[in-house]
Amino acid sequence: MSLSDPVAHKGTRESREVPLLELVNVWKRFGDGPSQVTAVSKVDLKIQPGEFITLIGPSGCGKSTLFNMIGGLLPSDSDGSIVMKGVPQKDGELLGKVSFMPQRDLLFPWRNVVDNAILALEIEGVSKKQAREKALDMLPDFGLSGFEKHYPHQLSGGMRQRVALMRTFLFERELILLDEPFGALDALTRAMMQRWLLDLWQRYKRTVLFITHDLDEAIFLGDKVLVMSARPGTIKCQETIELPRPRESSVVTSEGFIAVKRRLLEAVEEESMKTFSAAEPAR
Amino acid sequence: MKSAAASLWRAIALPLGTIVAMGLLWEAVARGAEISPHIFPPLSAVAVEAWRVGPFLARSVLRTFIETGLGFVSGAAFGILCGVAFALVRPLERALFPIFVVSQTIPVVAFGALVIIWFGNTILSKVVIAFYLTFFPVTVNTHSGMLSVDPQKIQLLRAFGASAVQIFWKLRFPAALPTVAVALRLGISLSLIGAIVGEWFGDTVGLGVMLIQAMYSESVPRLWALIITCGLLGASLYAVVAVIERRVVWWRTDA
Repeated sequence: MSLSDPVAHKGTRESREVPLLELVNVWKRFGDGPSQVTAVSKVDLKIQPGEFITLIGPSGCGKSTLFNMIGGLLPSDSDGSIVMKGVPQKDGELLGKVSFMPQRDLLFPWRNVVDNAILALEIEGVSKKQAREKALDMLPDFGLSGFEKHYPHQLSGGMRQRVALMRTFLFERELILLDEPFGALDALTRAMMQRWLLDLWQRYKRTVLFITHDLDEAIFLGDKVLVMSARPGTIKCQETIELPRPRESSVVTSEGFIAVKRRLLEAVEEESMKTFSAAEPAR
Repeated sequence: MKSAAASLWRAIALPLGTIVAMGLLWEAVARGAEISPHIFPPLSAVAVEAWRVGPFLARSVLRTFIETGLGFVSGAAFGILCGVAFALVRPLERALFPIFVVSQTIPVVAFGALVIIWFGNTILSKVVIAFYLTFFPVTVNTHSGMLSVDPQKIQLLRAFGASAVQIFWKLRFPAALPTVAVALRLGISLSLIGAIVGEWFGDTVGLGVMLIQAMYSESVPRLWALIITCGLLGASLYAVVAVIERRVVWWRTDA
Protein backbone atom coordinates (compact mmCIF):
# COMPACT_ATOMS: atom_id res chain seq x y z
CA MET A 1 0.00 0.00 0.00
CA SER A 2 1.56 3.20 -1.10
CA LEU A 3 -1.33 5.10 0.39
CA SER A 4 0.61 6.59 3.22
CA ASP A 5 3.38 8.54 1.69
CA PRO A 6 3.31 11.22 4.29
CA VAL A 7 4.34 14.57 2.97
CA ALA A 8 6.64 15.45 5.79
CA HIS A 9 6.21 19.20 5.93
CA LYS A 10 2.48 19.04 6.10
CA GLY A 11 2.16 17.73 9.63
CA THR A 12 4.47 20.35 11.04
CA ARG A 13 2.79 23.12 9.07
CA GLU A 14 -0.65 22.43 10.48
CA SER A 15 0.47 22.57 14.05
CA ARG A 16 2.67 25.62 13.66
CA GLU A 17 0.62 28.14 11.72
CA VAL A 18 -2.59 29.99 12.37
CA PRO A 19 -5.22 28.74 9.92
CA LEU A 20 -5.72 31.03 6.95
CA LEU A 21 -9.44 30.59 7.31
CA GLU A 22 -11.47 29.07 10.07
CA LEU A 23 -15.21 28.52 10.14
CA VAL A 24 -16.62 28.02 13.60
CA ASN A 25 -20.20 26.80 13.93
CA VAL A 26 -21.37 28.58 10.80
CA TRP A 27 -25.09 28.50 10.06
CA LYS A 28 -27.27 30.02 7.40
CA ARG A 29 -31.04 30.05 7.66
CA PHE A 30 -33.38 31.70 5.18
CA GLY A 31 -36.82 33.03 6.13
CA ASP A 32 -38.62 32.97 9.44
CA GLY A 33 -41.03 30.78 11.35
CA PRO A 34 -42.35 27.55 9.89
CA SER A 35 -41.20 28.35 6.36
CA GLN A 36 -37.62 28.77 7.52
CA VAL A 37 -35.08 26.85 5.48
CA THR A 38 -31.72 25.94 6.90
CA ALA A 39 -29.24 25.94 4.06
CA VAL A 40 -26.06 25.43 6.04
CA SER A 41 -25.80 24.13 9.58
CA LYS A 42 -22.95 23.87 12.02
CA VAL A 43 -20.03 23.98 9.66
CA ASP A 44 -16.61 23.80 11.29
CA LEU A 45 -13.68 24.01 8.98
CA LYS A 46 -10.02 24.95 9.04
CA ILE A 47 -7.94 25.81 6.02
CA GLN A 48 -4.16 26.04 6.40
CA PRO A 49 -2.08 28.29 4.16
CA GLY A 50 -1.14 26.56 0.91
CA GLU A 51 -3.69 23.78 1.23
CA PHE A 52 -5.89 22.55 -1.59
CA ILE A 53 -9.23 21.61 -0.06
CA THR A 54 -12.02 20.09 -2.09
CA LEU A 55 -15.62 20.11 -0.99
CA ILE A 56 -18.07 17.61 -2.38
CA GLY A 57 -21.77 17.18 -1.78
CA PRO A 58 -25.09 16.55 -3.50
CA SER A 59 -26.62 19.39 -5.47
CA GLY A 60 -28.65 21.78 -3.37
CA CYS A 61 -26.71 20.95 -0.22
CA GLY A 62 -25.73 24.52 0.46
CA LYS A 63 -22.24 24.47 -1.06
CA SER A 64 -22.80 27.68 -2.93
CA THR A 65 -24.36 29.31 0.13
CA LEU A 66 -21.26 28.39 2.09
CA PHE A 67 -19.10 29.84 -0.66
CA ASN A 68 -21.03 33.07 -0.77
CA MET A 69 -20.55 33.42 2.96
CA ILE A 70 -16.80 32.88 2.71
CA GLY A 71 -16.65 35.35 -0.18
CA GLY A 72 -18.41 37.94 1.97
CA LEU A 73 -21.45 38.11 -0.30
CA LEU A 74 -23.82 36.65 2.24
CA PRO A 75 -23.71 37.28 5.98
CA SER A 76 -23.55 34.13 8.07
CA ASP A 77 -25.99 33.77 10.96
CA SER A 78 -24.85 35.38 14.15
CA ASP A 79 -24.34 32.15 16.12
CA GLY A 80 -21.10 31.32 14.35
CA SER A 81 -18.08 33.11 13.04
CA ILE A 82 -15.73 33.18 10.12
CA VAL A 83 -12.17 33.86 11.20
CA MET A 84 -9.44 34.92 8.81
CA LYS A 85 -5.85 34.71 10.05
CA GLY A 86 -7.13 34.80 13.60
CA VAL A 87 -9.37 37.82 13.07
CA PRO A 88 -13.15 37.32 13.18
CA GLN A 89 -14.80 38.86 10.12
CA LYS A 90 -17.93 40.96 10.43
CA ASP A 91 -20.61 41.12 7.74
CA GLY A 92 -19.24 42.35 4.46
CA GLU A 93 -15.68 42.54 5.74
CA LEU A 94 -14.65 39.59 3.61
CA LEU A 95 -15.55 41.41 0.40
CA GLY A 96 -12.37 41.96 -1.54
CA LYS A 97 -10.33 39.61 0.68
CA VAL A 98 -10.99 36.35 -1.10
CA SER A 99 -10.52 35.56 -4.76
CA PHE A 100 -13.84 34.21 -5.85
CA MET A 101 -14.78 32.30 -8.96
CA PRO A 102 -18.40 31.23 -9.45
CA GLN A 103 -19.56 28.33 -11.63
CA ARG A 104 -20.26 30.42 -14.71
CA ASP A 105 -17.37 32.29 -16.27
CA LEU A 106 -19.29 35.62 -16.12
CA LEU A 107 -17.03 37.25 -18.68
CA PHE A 108 -18.09 40.68 -19.89
CA PRO A 109 -18.91 40.46 -23.62
CA TRP A 110 -17.63 43.97 -24.32
CA ARG A 111 -14.18 43.26 -22.87
CA ASN A 112 -11.51 41.25 -24.63
CA VAL A 113 -9.51 38.49 -22.94
CA VAL A 114 -6.94 40.76 -21.33
CA ASP A 115 -9.47 43.33 -20.17
CA ASN A 116 -11.67 40.64 -18.71
CA ALA A 117 -8.71 39.19 -16.85
CA ILE A 118 -7.75 42.53 -15.28
CA LEU A 119 -11.24 43.35 -14.05
CA ALA A 120 -10.42 42.77 -10.39
CA LEU A 121 -7.15 44.68 -10.66
CA GLU A 122 -8.98 47.64 -12.15
CA ILE A 123 -11.36 47.61 -9.22
CA GLU A 124 -8.40 47.62 -6.86
CA GLY A 125 -7.21 50.78 -8.56
CA VAL A 126 -4.23 49.38 -10.49
CA SER A 127 -3.68 51.39 -13.65
CA LYS A 128 -4.92 49.75 -16.83
CA LYS A 129 -1.50 49.79 -18.39
CA GLN A 130 0.18 48.08 -15.45
CA ALA A 131 -2.63 45.58 -15.11
CA ARG A 132 -2.51 44.70 -18.79
CA GLU A 133 1.24 44.15 -18.65
CA LYS A 134 0.77 41.77 -15.77
CA ALA A 135 -1.99 39.92 -17.58
CA LEU A 136 0.04 39.63 -20.79
CA ASP A 137 2.87 38.01 -18.81
CA MET A 138 0.43 35.47 -17.44
CA LEU A 139 -1.25 34.56 -20.74
CA PRO A 140 1.09 31.66 -21.63
CA ASP A 141 0.53 30.01 -18.24
CA PHE A 142 -3.17 29.98 -18.97
CA GLY A 143 -2.82 28.70 -22.50
CA LEU A 144 -4.15 31.92 -23.95
CA SER A 145 -1.11 33.25 -25.84
CA GLY A 146 -2.22 35.01 -28.98
CA PHE A 147 -5.78 35.34 -27.78
CA GLU A 148 -5.37 38.56 -25.81
CA LYS A 149 -7.45 40.57 -28.27
CA HIS A 150 -10.21 37.98 -28.65
CA TYR A 151 -13.66 38.53 -27.25
CA PRO A 152 -15.56 35.99 -25.13
CA HIS A 153 -17.92 34.92 -27.92
CA GLN A 154 -14.90 33.92 -30.01
CA LEU A 155 -13.61 31.47 -27.38
CA SER A 156 -14.41 27.86 -26.56
CA GLY A 157 -15.91 26.94 -23.19
CA GLY A 158 -12.56 25.73 -21.86
CA MET A 159 -10.81 28.91 -22.90
CA ARG A 160 -13.49 31.09 -21.38
CA GLN A 161 -13.09 29.20 -18.15
CA ARG A 162 -9.33 29.78 -18.28
CA VAL A 163 -9.89 33.51 -18.75
CA ALA A 164 -12.14 33.47 -15.69
CA LEU A 165 -9.46 31.56 -13.76
CA MET A 166 -6.84 34.03 -14.85
CA ARG A 167 -9.05 36.85 -13.59
CA THR A 168 -9.26 34.96 -10.29
CA PHE A 169 -5.49 34.44 -10.06
CA LEU A 170 -4.70 38.03 -10.98
CA PHE A 171 -6.74 39.10 -7.98
CA GLU A 172 -3.90 38.24 -5.65
CA ARG A 173 -5.49 36.94 -2.49
CA GLU A 174 -4.15 34.06 -0.48
CA LEU A 175 -7.43 32.18 -0.59
CA ILE A 176 -9.06 31.22 -3.86
CA LEU A 177 -12.63 29.95 -3.92
CA LEU A 178 -13.54 27.90 -6.96
CA ASP A 179 -17.15 26.83 -7.37
CA GLU A 180 -17.34 23.90 -9.80
CA PRO A 181 -15.17 25.71 -12.30
CA PHE A 182 -15.01 22.74 -14.66
CA GLY A 183 -18.60 21.60 -14.22
CA ALA A 184 -19.72 22.65 -17.68
CA LEU A 185 -16.73 21.23 -19.57
CA ASP A 186 -16.51 17.94 -21.43
CA ALA A 187 -14.62 15.11 -19.73
CA LEU A 188 -11.41 15.41 -21.76
CA THR A 189 -11.09 19.16 -21.37
CA ARG A 190 -11.94 18.78 -17.73
CA ALA A 191 -9.14 16.25 -17.08
CA MET A 192 -6.67 18.50 -18.83
CA MET A 193 -7.82 21.53 -16.87
CA GLN A 194 -7.48 19.64 -13.58
CA ARG A 195 -3.85 18.78 -14.17
CA TRP A 196 -3.19 22.28 -15.36
CA LEU A 197 -4.85 23.77 -12.26
CA LEU A 198 -2.64 21.68 -9.98
CA ASP A 199 0.38 22.86 -11.86
CA LEU A 200 -0.76 26.44 -11.51
CA TRP A 201 -1.52 26.03 -7.83
CA GLN A 202 1.97 24.76 -7.14
CA ARG A 203 3.56 27.52 -9.15
CA TYR A 204 1.57 30.40 -7.70
CA LYS A 205 1.41 29.00 -4.13
CA ARG A 206 -2.14 29.86 -3.26
CA THR A 207 -4.66 28.28 -0.96
CA VAL A 208 -7.63 26.79 -2.74
CA LEU A 209 -11.11 25.79 -1.67
CA PHE A 210 -12.66 23.94 -4.56
CA ILE A 211 -16.31 22.89 -4.82
CA THR A 212 -17.21 19.96 -7.02
CA HIS A 213 -19.78 17.23 -7.34
CA ASP A 214 -17.34 14.87 -8.98
CA LEU A 215 -15.65 12.55 -6.49
CA ASP A 216 -12.73 11.66 -8.78
CA GLU A 217 -12.03 15.33 -9.24
CA ALA A 218 -12.23 15.97 -5.51
CA ILE A 219 -9.70 13.23 -4.69
CA PHE A 220 -7.41 13.95 -7.60
CA LEU A 221 -7.04 17.61 -6.72
CA GLY A 222 -7.30 17.80 -2.97
CA ASP A 223 -5.01 17.59 0.03
CA LYS A 224 -8.19 17.03 1.91
CA VAL A 225 -11.69 16.12 0.76
CA LEU A 226 -14.67 17.37 2.76
CA VAL A 227 -18.00 15.66 2.23
CA MET A 228 -21.06 17.79 2.75
CA SER A 229 -24.36 16.28 3.79
CA ALA A 230 -27.70 16.84 2.09
CA ARG A 231 -29.55 19.94 3.22
CA PRO A 232 -29.17 21.32 5.78
CA GLY A 233 -25.58 21.16 4.64
CA THR A 234 -22.91 20.36 7.13
CA ILE A 235 -19.50 18.73 6.93
CA LYS A 236 -20.32 15.05 7.23
CA CYS A 237 -16.80 13.68 7.11
CA GLN A 238 -13.37 14.48 5.79
CA GLU A 239 -10.51 12.51 4.39
CA THR A 240 -6.88 13.55 4.05
CA ILE A 241 -5.53 12.49 0.68
CA GLU A 242 -1.95 11.30 1.01
CA LEU A 243 -1.35 10.65 -2.66
CA PRO A 244 2.07 11.99 -3.62
CA ARG A 245 2.38 15.14 -5.68
CA PRO A 246 2.83 15.99 -8.45
CA ARG A 247 -0.07 13.75 -9.39
CA GLU A 248 -0.21 12.19 -12.82
CA SER A 249 -3.52 11.41 -14.42
CA SER A 250 -2.78 7.70 -13.94
CA VAL A 251 -3.05 8.18 -10.20
CA VAL A 252 -6.80 7.65 -10.45
CA THR A 253 -6.16 3.96 -11.12
CA SER A 254 -3.76 3.49 -8.20
CA GLU A 255 -4.68 1.37 -5.22
CA GLY A 256 -4.44 4.29 -2.86
CA PHE A 257 -6.85 6.34 -4.93
CA ILE A 258 -9.33 3.48 -5.21
CA ALA A 259 -9.23 2.84 -1.49
CA VAL A 260 -9.99 6.46 -0.66
CA LYS A 261 -12.66 6.58 -3.30
CA ARG A 262 -14.34 3.49 -1.91
CA ARG A 263 -14.54 5.05 1.54
CA LEU A 264 -15.82 8.40 0.30
CA LEU A 265 -18.22 7.02 -2.28
CA GLU A 266 -20.37 5.48 0.40
CA ALA A 267 -20.70 8.77 2.25
CA VAL A 268 -21.38 10.76 -0.90
CA GLU A 269 -23.95 8.36 -2.26
CA GLU A 270 -25.80 8.21 1.01
CA GLU A 271 -26.21 11.98 0.92
CA SER A 272 -27.16 12.00 -2.74
CA MET A 273 -29.89 9.47 -2.04
CA LYS A 274 -31.26 11.69 0.72
CA THR A 275 -31.50 14.60 -1.67
CA PHE A 276 -33.05 12.37 -4.28
CA SER A 277 -35.74 10.93 -2.03
CA ALA A 278 -36.54 14.31 -0.54
CA ALA A 279 -37.47 15.21 -4.13
CA GLU A 280 -36.88 18.86 -3.56
CA PRO A 281 -36.14 21.15 -6.41
CA ALA A 282 -32.39 21.60 -6.57
CA ARG A 283 -31.00 24.72 -4.94
CA MET B 1 -10.29 49.56 -50.27
CA LYS B 2 -11.41 48.28 -53.63
CA SER B 3 -12.95 45.15 -52.20
CA ALA B 4 -14.76 47.18 -49.53
CA ALA B 5 -16.29 49.33 -52.23
CA ALA B 6 -17.20 46.22 -54.18
CA SER B 7 -18.94 44.59 -51.23
CA LEU B 8 -20.78 47.83 -50.48
CA TRP B 9 -21.94 47.89 -54.07
CA ARG B 10 -23.10 44.30 -53.84
CA ALA B 11 -25.06 45.16 -50.71
CA ILE B 12 -26.89 48.15 -52.16
CA ALA B 13 -27.22 47.10 -55.82
CA LEU B 14 -30.35 45.02 -55.35
CA PRO B 15 -32.37 47.41 -53.17
CA LEU B 16 -31.28 50.26 -55.43
CA GLY B 17 -32.49 48.30 -58.45
CA THR B 18 -35.83 47.72 -56.73
CA ILE B 19 -36.25 51.43 -56.08
CA VAL B 20 -35.48 52.32 -59.69
CA ALA B 21 -37.90 49.66 -60.90
CA MET B 22 -40.64 51.00 -58.62
CA GLY B 23 -40.05 54.52 -59.89
CA LEU B 24 -40.38 53.35 -63.49
CA LEU B 25 -43.51 51.40 -62.66
CA TRP B 26 -44.99 54.47 -60.95
CA GLU B 27 -44.30 56.59 -63.99
CA ALA B 28 -45.72 54.02 -66.37
CA VAL B 29 -48.91 53.42 -64.36
CA ALA B 30 -49.59 57.13 -63.82
CA ARG B 31 -49.17 57.89 -67.51
CA GLY B 32 -50.69 54.75 -68.98
CA ALA B 33 -53.75 54.20 -66.81
CA GLU B 34 -55.27 57.61 -67.45
CA ILE B 35 -55.61 58.44 -63.78
CA SER B 36 -56.16 62.11 -63.13
CA PRO B 37 -52.79 63.68 -62.24
CA HIS B 38 -54.71 65.40 -59.48
CA ILE B 39 -55.13 62.01 -57.78
CA PHE B 40 -51.93 60.23 -58.82
CA PRO B 41 -49.30 62.36 -60.56
CA PRO B 42 -46.46 60.70 -62.43
CA LEU B 43 -43.12 60.65 -60.67
CA SER B 44 -41.66 63.06 -63.19
CA ALA B 45 -44.28 65.67 -62.25
CA VAL B 46 -43.39 65.16 -58.60
CA ALA B 47 -39.72 65.69 -59.41
CA VAL B 48 -40.48 68.85 -61.38
CA GLU B 49 -42.51 70.22 -58.49
CA ALA B 50 -39.73 69.36 -56.02
CA TRP B 51 -37.26 71.21 -58.21
CA ARG B 52 -39.59 74.21 -58.49
CA VAL B 53 -39.86 74.61 -54.70
CA GLY B 54 -36.26 73.46 -54.25
CA PRO B 55 -34.78 76.29 -52.16
CA PHE B 56 -37.78 76.40 -49.82
CA LEU B 57 -37.75 72.61 -49.56
CA ALA B 58 -34.06 72.65 -48.67
CA ARG B 59 -34.58 75.23 -45.93
CA SER B 60 -37.51 73.23 -44.62
CA VAL B 61 -35.47 70.03 -44.50
CA LEU B 62 -32.73 71.81 -42.60
CA ARG B 63 -35.20 73.31 -40.14
CA THR B 64 -37.03 70.04 -39.49
CA PHE B 65 -33.71 68.24 -39.19
CA ILE B 66 -32.51 70.67 -36.52
CA GLU B 67 -35.77 70.37 -34.58
CA THR B 68 -35.65 66.60 -34.77
CA GLY B 69 -32.00 66.46 -33.79
CA LEU B 70 -32.37 68.78 -30.80
CA GLY B 71 -35.52 67.02 -29.61
CA PHE B 72 -33.90 63.63 -30.02
CA VAL B 73 -30.64 64.45 -28.29
CA SER B 74 -32.30 66.18 -25.34
CA GLY B 75 -35.01 63.51 -25.11
CA ALA B 76 -32.47 60.69 -25.23
CA ALA B 77 -30.27 62.34 -22.60
CA PHE B 78 -33.22 62.98 -20.30
CA GLY B 79 -34.55 59.45 -20.89
CA ILE B 80 -31.23 57.84 -20.06
CA LEU B 81 -30.92 59.96 -16.94
CA CYS B 82 -34.45 59.06 -15.80
CA GLY B 83 -33.97 55.38 -16.59
CA VAL B 84 -30.75 55.28 -14.58
CA ALA B 85 -32.30 57.20 -11.69
CA PHE B 86 -35.35 54.91 -11.64
CA ALA B 87 -33.15 51.81 -11.64
CA LEU B 88 -30.95 53.09 -8.82
CA VAL B 89 -33.62 54.68 -6.63
CA ARG B 90 -36.72 52.52 -6.36
CA PRO B 91 -38.88 55.10 -4.53
CA LEU B 92 -38.25 57.55 -7.33
CA GLU B 93 -39.45 54.99 -9.83
CA ARG B 94 -42.61 54.29 -7.86
CA ALA B 95 -43.33 58.01 -7.48
CA LEU B 96 -42.69 59.15 -11.03
CA PHE B 97 -43.03 56.24 -13.40
CA PRO B 98 -46.86 56.10 -13.31
CA ILE B 99 -46.95 59.79 -14.16
CA PHE B 100 -44.62 59.18 -17.08
CA VAL B 101 -46.92 56.45 -18.35
CA VAL B 102 -50.04 58.58 -18.00
CA SER B 103 -48.33 61.46 -19.79
CA GLN B 104 -47.71 59.18 -22.75
CA THR B 105 -51.34 58.10 -23.02
CA ILE B 106 -52.29 61.67 -23.95
CA PRO B 107 -51.98 62.02 -27.73
CA VAL B 108 -49.40 64.65 -28.50
CA VAL B 109 -51.84 66.65 -30.65
CA ALA B 110 -54.08 67.06 -27.60
CA PHE B 111 -51.71 69.47 -25.95
CA GLY B 112 -49.86 70.73 -28.99
CA ALA B 113 -51.75 74.01 -28.83
CA LEU B 114 -50.70 74.44 -25.21
CA VAL B 115 -47.07 73.90 -26.11
CA ILE B 116 -47.34 76.60 -28.78
CA ILE B 117 -48.90 79.02 -26.29
CA TRP B 118 -46.20 78.28 -23.72
CA PHE B 119 -43.17 78.26 -25.94
CA GLY B 120 -44.38 80.49 -28.74
CA ASN B 121 -44.22 79.92 -32.46
CA THR B 122 -40.54 79.14 -32.19
CA ILE B 123 -38.25 76.24 -32.89
CA LEU B 124 -38.38 75.49 -29.17
CA SER B 125 -42.00 74.34 -29.23
CA LYS B 126 -41.20 71.73 -31.93
CA VAL B 127 -38.17 70.58 -30.01
CA VAL B 128 -40.34 70.16 -26.93
CA ILE B 129 -42.80 67.94 -28.79
CA ALA B 130 -40.00 65.86 -30.32
CA PHE B 131 -38.44 65.63 -26.86
CA TYR B 132 -41.75 64.52 -25.39
CA LEU B 133 -42.07 61.65 -27.84
CA THR B 134 -38.44 60.54 -27.47
CA PHE B 135 -37.76 60.51 -23.77
CA PHE B 136 -40.34 57.93 -22.79
CA PRO B 137 -39.18 54.88 -24.76
CA VAL B 138 -35.60 55.73 -23.84
CA THR B 139 -36.52 55.93 -20.14
CA VAL B 140 -38.33 52.59 -20.26
CA ASN B 141 -35.54 50.77 -22.05
CA THR B 142 -32.74 52.27 -19.98
CA HIS B 143 -34.60 51.26 -16.85
CA SER B 144 -35.22 47.70 -17.96
CA GLY B 145 -31.70 47.40 -19.36
CA MET B 146 -30.22 48.45 -16.05
CA LEU B 147 -32.39 45.98 -14.15
CA SER B 148 -31.69 43.06 -16.45
CA VAL B 149 -28.00 42.96 -15.53
CA ASP B 150 -26.93 39.46 -14.52
CA PRO B 151 -27.07 39.52 -10.68
CA GLN B 152 -24.19 37.03 -10.54
CA LYS B 153 -21.96 39.50 -12.33
CA ILE B 154 -22.86 42.11 -9.74
CA GLN B 155 -22.00 39.61 -7.01
CA LEU B 156 -18.68 38.89 -8.69
CA LEU B 157 -17.75 42.56 -8.69
CA ARG B 158 -18.84 42.88 -5.07
CA ALA B 159 -16.63 39.93 -4.18
CA PHE B 160 -13.74 41.82 -5.78
CA GLY B 161 -14.53 44.68 -3.42
CA ALA B 162 -16.13 46.98 -6.01
CA SER B 163 -18.02 50.09 -4.90
CA ALA B 164 -21.51 50.90 -6.17
CA VAL B 165 -20.03 53.52 -8.47
CA GLN B 166 -17.57 51.02 -9.95
CA ILE B 167 -20.36 48.48 -10.43
CA PHE B 168 -22.35 51.13 -12.26
CA TRP B 169 -19.65 52.20 -14.69
CA LYS B 170 -17.99 48.84 -15.26
CA LEU B 171 -21.10 46.72 -15.45
CA ARG B 172 -24.58 48.18 -15.17
CA PHE B 173 -24.22 50.97 -17.69
CA PRO B 174 -22.44 49.08 -20.47
CA ALA B 175 -24.74 46.10 -19.95
CA ALA B 176 -27.79 48.32 -20.46
CA LEU B 177 -26.48 49.90 -23.67
CA PRO B 178 -27.86 47.33 -26.16
CA THR B 179 -31.35 47.83 -24.74
CA VAL B 180 -30.92 51.60 -24.76
CA ALA B 181 -29.83 51.47 -28.39
CA VAL B 182 -33.10 49.80 -29.41
CA ALA B 183 -35.01 52.70 -27.87
CA LEU B 184 -32.79 55.26 -29.59
CA ARG B 185 -33.64 53.80 -33.00
CA LEU B 186 -37.30 54.04 -32.10
CA GLY B 187 -36.77 57.52 -30.64
CA ILE B 188 -35.26 59.06 -33.76
CA SER B 189 -38.33 58.12 -35.82
CA LEU B 190 -40.68 59.42 -33.13
CA SER B 191 -38.66 62.59 -32.87
CA LEU B 192 -39.16 63.32 -36.56
CA ILE B 193 -42.89 62.78 -36.19
CA GLY B 194 -42.89 65.13 -33.21
CA ALA B 195 -41.11 67.86 -35.14
CA ILE B 196 -43.46 67.60 -38.13
CA VAL B 197 -46.58 67.55 -35.96
CA GLY B 198 -45.21 70.50 -34.02
CA GLU B 199 -44.89 72.46 -37.25
CA TRP B 200 -48.56 71.84 -38.08
CA PHE B 201 -49.52 74.08 -35.21
CA GLY B 202 -47.97 76.98 -36.99
CA ASP B 203 -44.71 78.24 -38.41
CA THR B 204 -43.36 79.55 -41.68
CA VAL B 205 -40.77 76.98 -42.63
CA GLY B 206 -40.39 73.24 -42.16
CA LEU B 207 -41.60 70.01 -43.75
CA GLY B 208 -44.74 70.04 -41.59
CA VAL B 209 -45.55 73.56 -42.69
CA MET B 210 -45.11 72.61 -46.35
CA LEU B 211 -47.30 69.53 -45.87
CA ILE B 212 -50.13 71.65 -44.48
CA GLN B 213 -49.75 74.19 -47.27
CA ALA B 214 -49.75 71.49 -49.95
CA MET B 215 -52.82 69.95 -48.38
CA TYR B 216 -54.79 73.21 -48.41
CA SER B 217 -53.75 74.08 -51.95
CA GLU B 218 -54.43 70.49 -53.01
CA SER B 219 -51.07 70.31 -54.73
CA VAL B 220 -50.74 66.54 -54.97
CA PRO B 221 -47.33 66.54 -56.72
CA ARG B 222 -45.92 68.64 -53.90
CA LEU B 223 -47.49 66.35 -51.29
CA TRP B 224 -45.73 63.45 -52.93
CA ALA B 225 -42.47 65.35 -53.07
CA LEU B 226 -42.80 66.07 -49.35
CA ILE B 227 -43.73 62.50 -48.48
CA ILE B 228 -40.63 61.25 -50.27
CA THR B 229 -38.47 63.93 -48.63
CA CYS B 230 -39.79 63.04 -45.17
CA GLY B 231 -39.04 59.39 -45.92
CA LEU B 232 -35.51 60.18 -47.02
CA LEU B 233 -34.87 62.36 -43.96
CA GLY B 234 -36.29 59.70 -41.63
CA ALA B 235 -34.24 56.96 -43.26
CA SER B 236 -31.04 59.01 -43.11
CA LEU B 237 -31.52 59.85 -39.44
CA TYR B 238 -32.26 56.22 -38.66
CA ALA B 239 -29.17 55.15 -40.57
CA VAL B 240 -26.98 57.57 -38.59
CA VAL B 241 -28.29 56.25 -35.27
CA ALA B 242 -27.89 52.65 -36.45
CA VAL B 243 -24.29 53.22 -37.56
CA ILE B 244 -23.40 54.85 -34.24
CA GLU B 245 -25.09 52.00 -32.43
CA ARG B 246 -23.08 49.42 -34.31
CA ARG B 247 -19.89 51.24 -33.39
CA VAL B 248 -20.67 51.61 -29.72
CA VAL B 249 -22.71 48.51 -28.95
CA TRP B 250 -21.05 45.99 -31.19
CA TRP B 251 -20.89 43.01 -28.88
CA ARG B 252 -23.24 40.07 -28.86
CA THR B 253 -25.37 39.85 -25.76
CA ASP B 254 -25.48 36.06 -25.50
CA ALA B 255 -22.70 36.02 -22.91
